[in-house]
Parts: sequence; C-alpha cells; structure tokens
Amino acid sequence: MAKSIRLAAALGLMLTGPVAGDTADGDALIGQDWDTIIEMARGGEVNWFLWGGSDTINQYVSEYLGGILEDEYGITLNRVGLSDTVEAVNIVLGEAEAGVTEDGSVDLIWINGENFRTMVQADLAWCGYPGTLPNNDLIDWDNPSIATDFGVPVDGCEMPWNRAQFAIAYDSARTEMPPRTIAELIDWVDANPGQFTYPAPPDFNGSVFVRHVFYHAAGGVDALLGPFDQALYDEVAPRAWEILNAMEPHLWREGQTYPTSITQLDQLFANSEVAFSFNYDPSQFGLAVESGLWPETVRSYGFADGTIGNTNYTLIPFNSPNKAAALVLQNLLISAEAQLEKARPEVWGTVPAIDLGAVPDEIRAEFDALPSHPSVVAPEVLAEAALPELQAEWIAAIEQGWIENVGR
Amino acid sequence: MPGGARTFLLLAPALVVIGVLFLGGLGVAVLRSVGYMPLIGLTDPSLDAYAALLSNRDFYRSLALSLHISITSTLIASVIAVGAALLLRRGFAGRGIVSFLFQLNLTVPHLVGAIGILYLFSQSGSFARLGYQVGLIDQPGQFPALVYDPFAVGIILQYVWKEVPFIGLVVLAQMQGIGADYEAAARSLGARPWQAFRHVLLPLILPGLLASSAIVFAFTFGAYEIPALLGQSHPQALPVLAYRLFTDVDLAARPQAMAASILIAAISGVMVWAYVALTRRRVGG
Repeated sequence: MAKSIRLAAALGLMLTGPVAGDTADGDALIGQDWDTIIEMARGGEVNWFLWGGSDTINQYVSEYLGGILEDEYGITLNRVGLSDTVEAVNIVLGEAEAGVTEDGSVDLIWINGENFRTMVQADLAWCGYPGTLPNNDLIDWDNPSIATDFGVPVDGCEMPWNRAQFAIAYDSARTEMPPRTIAELIDWVDANPGQFTYPAPPDFNGSVFVRHVFYHAAGGVDALLGPFDQALYDEVAPRAWEILNAMEPHLWREGQTYPTSITQLDQLFANSEVAFSFNYDPSQFGLAVESGLWPETVRSYGFADGTIGNTNYTLIPFNSPNKAAALVLQNLLISAEAQLEKARPEVWGTVPAIDLGAVPDEIRAEFDALPSHPSVVAPEVLAEAALPELQAEWIAAIEQGWIENVGR
Repeated sequence: MPGGARTFLLLAPALVVIGVLFLGGLGVAVLRSVGYMPLIGLTDPSLDAYAALLSNRDFYRSLALSLHISITSTLIASVIAVGAALLLRRGFAGRGIVSFLFQLNLTVPHLVGAIGILYLFSQSGSFARLGYQVGLIDQPGQFPALVYDPFAVGIILQYVWKEVPFIGLVVLAQMQGIGADYEAAARSLGARPWQAFRHVLLPLILPGLLASSAIVFAFTFGAYEIPALLGQSHPQALPVLAYRLFTDVDLAARPQAMAASILIAAISGVMVWAYVALTRRRVGG
C-alpha cells in the first residue's frame, strides 16, 4: 500500500514538474536574522488561501497587502479565495497523504477553531516561529482569548490576525423594536412568522447562532467551558433542539428549508424576505451598506445576555515551499500600519488583534480617531457582554446534533 | 512505424489523461472510501464507511432527490428538444435567427444560468416583484416557492433550460442526415404523421437521442453546483451530501465522503446502462 502511495506521489511530481522549494525547511528560518529572511523571500511568491466571500476584504488583501509585498519585498501575493476554509485544510491533508512534504501548494491559511484543531490533530501546521517575527512584540500572548483558539492552545502554530464578536443586523426603518435577548428573539419569531431564519450549520455563522441558543438552553455558558462532556451534552441538547424545533414552523419558509450560507441570508435580508441578518464579523454590515446592498437605515447590536467572540489567525502549513515569504506576509499582517488600515470602516472595519498599548503613539492616535460606521455596533459596546467560544469537540457535537435533530 | 504502435502513440495523450487523472483519482477515492488514510491513523481497510452510509436515512432521501432531479430534467429536456428539432428542421422565414437563439445558451455557464433562475424565480425575484406590482401578492412569502423548494423546481428549470439545446442540436443534426425520404415513403404507404414519427423517425434518431440524453442524465445526477445553489438545506442532492461529508471537520467522515462519491459513480453507471437497454427495447433500435 505504501508503495502505491509513493507511486502516486511520484506520478504527481512528474505531472506538475519540480517547483523550487526554496524555503521549505522551516527549522533553518526559526531564530534567523529578520533581514536575512527578507532577502530569502525577495522575488518569490506566497499562496494565501482565505475565505473570499467579501469583495472589500479581497480588495484589502490583493491591493493593499499585495501592493506592499510587491513594492517593498518584490514578493508576489496569490490570493486564493475559498468558500470554506476546510477546502484549504483538505488540500494540505491530501498533499501530506501523497507524501508531498516540502512542495505544497498552500503557504498561508486564514483559519481558526475546528479547522485549526484539524491541522494540529493531523500535525499539518508549522510551529515555533512567532518569536522570529519582529512584530510579534505587538501580540499579547498573555491574553487567553489570543493564546487559545476555541479552547485549543495556539502554541506558536498560528498568528492572530483579527478579533470578532457576533452581532445582529436589522433595518431600523422596518423593525422598530428588535429583540434584545435570545429569549425575546424566540418570542419575536412566534409573533412574526416567516420573518426570521438562520443558515443551516455547519455554516460558520449559522453554527454560532445555534450555539447562542445552546448557551441559553444550558442556562449560561459557564458549565459548558472545558473539555467535551457527553453527559452534560445529553442533558442540554434536547432542550436546545426543543426550542429550535418549536421555532421552526415560524421561520422563513415554515422552516422547511434553511439558507445554506451567510451570503444567502444576507440576500434574503437585502430583499426584505427576512428581518434580520447576523455575522461573526459585524464590520460586514457597514461594508454591505457602503456597497449599496443594504439600506443606510441598517443598525446592529449584541444581545444583552451576551454574544460570542473569537480571534482568528493565519497559519503556515508544514509543507509550504515559501515559508520565508509567508513569514514576511504574516509580519506585515500584524504590523500596526496594516492593522490600522484594516480597522478603517471603509476598508474593512475589523477589530485589531494586536495590543494597542504596544503600538507607537502616533498610530495609536489614529486608531483612537477612527470614525465608526453608523450601521456597525461599536466593538467596545459589544465587548461589555462577551461570551467565550466552546472547545472544538463541543462545536462539532452541536453541529452534528442540529443536523440530526433539527435540520432534517 | 507499424500501424498499431502509431495508433497507440497517437492515442497516448488521451489515454494518459483518462488513465492517470480519472482512473487514478477513482483509485485513490476507492482507497480512501475503504478507510485507508495512514496520516490520521486509519490503516485497516474496511467497508465501514459504506455500511454507515447505507444505513443512513439521509442517504436514501438524497438518492431519491437526485434521481428525481435527473430523471425529470432528462425527460422534459428530451421531449422539448425533439419537438424543437422537428420544428427547426423545416425551412421557414427567420430560421437562421431562431436556430441561433436556440443554441445561444449553450455558451452560458451553468452557474450563470443558476443566478438567472434565482433572479427570476425566487420569492423576491423579478416575477415575484411583478406579482407585487399588479397586486397578486403582498409579501415575498406569498409567491410560490420555486427555488430552495422541496420539489427541486428551480434546479429542474435550470437543467431543462440548459440541456434542451444540447440534446436538440444532436438530434437535429441526425434528422438532417437522415433526410425526409423515409418518412415520405411511410406517409405514401398510408402512415399518419404520428405513426411516421413514432415508427420511422424516432428509431432512426434514437442513437443520437439516447447518447445525448444519457450524457444529460449522468451529468445532472453527478453535478454539484446547481443543487448547491438552488437546493434546499435538507435533503441535499447526493453530490452536495458527499461534499458536506468531505468538508466535515471530523477527518473520520472523509471515508464516507469518498464512499458516497463512488456510489454516485456506480449508480449513475448502472442507471445509464439500464436506461439505454430499456429505451432500446421499447422503441426498437
């Protein structure tokens, strides 16, 4: 069997031809002088696989980040858009199985949560390099919401890029009194049939909505923190499915079907078919308004009983052939300037992952002076009632439970 | 160079593509479907993935949906295509333009067609807006559900729209090759138009019709993108189910995804074979 896999790998190499894996050897880079790494990366390319569903994010990546890489380092940035991060995980996994250990096609992945767990579980992540990046000084690794990714210790295997917290969007011209808690939302759905729905898990945003209901059914998140507990799950899950199943006949299309992606929910909201959309990244609301998809009367908020927040990261696969260029890109991603640019509402408006206490004063002043978008709830306001994410095993169990008990 | 070797050499590029890319991919998929993935510690081949899939109620609902989509689309598209070909083979004023319009959507990608269906037929699409303007409906929910619907109307509409010209062109080319002499002979011997069509023309165009509609059947049975865009969240068409298993965060679900893909290939092979055998017997080749 091993022979056939070696054969398949050899065939694969024959077909694609050898590609120079200049900086595939990660050990040689760790602790290396930064200027040396830049010289090793110069003139090369970096293949970044990331969710591609937002034109504004794509523009920031391709034009702003890609422009700096090209102008200052002569590095070509190839942005590869994904509809789901797991697609990139599958590529690396397939390459590892075929024995491609230093000539992989993925140099960087925008990642967190379950996909990070998969990469760590299958030993596909390159680790131990953060200290090599000069801008690592801007990262507060003592903050548990940065040092653990959905309960899995980061351990130098990925670098934080953004922080995000779930929020709900509504059109203030259509809905005067939006529900302020999960309990109120449940009542609101009963009173307003056909006006609410959520994307079917495993969609990322649909899944986090279901977790809010799950926390509500558990009477708070505290008991659910920590490793997966089958007995506790068996106790809470039936209550959560009961709530969601009771909601179902009052959902859009009487709950006979659910949107399959957040994009579909956003379209339903834009077309006034439903009264709410929501997102793990509230800056998306501002972008939708700015691009004319949503009316300017859109406002957003977090539930009074809290909404779930997380940090998302970038990760370099073990078999990336362009590790030096990937490091240069990662260092750029967490630079104060790039994080400031990304925080501008018209560019992306997302919450920085760096410690603002550590950035130079003049950039700090610019951060403080950033205008906020009227459609985007301020991160500080959201942060007043923030809920932690669960460990990945919990999330997988809840998603599977939803599919089996509610979705079918 | 002897003729045999030369033929083989000339065929080699095509054989390499089929052998390495297609059969190779199929082989890896079979390996993975029996749970041979050393990287995540699965080294004992077994048929567990098939057993899990075949004992899952969702699999059968997905299978039924996929069969419904491809049989209905193929049937409707074939009937319309033969009808259109019968009309188009006659000479009439503006035939050139009509033929051009008939073939036009062959160049439109499936995905673009799906977006068109969405814009026209969704509950907030053009027809719903028209219905609202003339006072037929008050809100989107009152417009009949034609996309993301339990009967897969949107998916079938998209496939029929896209496949009619494909089957139509194949059948039309065949009709033009045959000419009108055989039917004329049948008519002069007293056959009515329907009889001439059913017993003379249809058996003659059958090879083309069979080949093109079998392609349409196999394609619509195995295609992912249209049911993914226009389908319900549950049940999902088989390819969508396979992809969901493939993108499951639990790596242990990968063998099931591969098993589903192998079953899709096997079922569509068996169906195409049965379809060709059955139609041959009923229409008489």
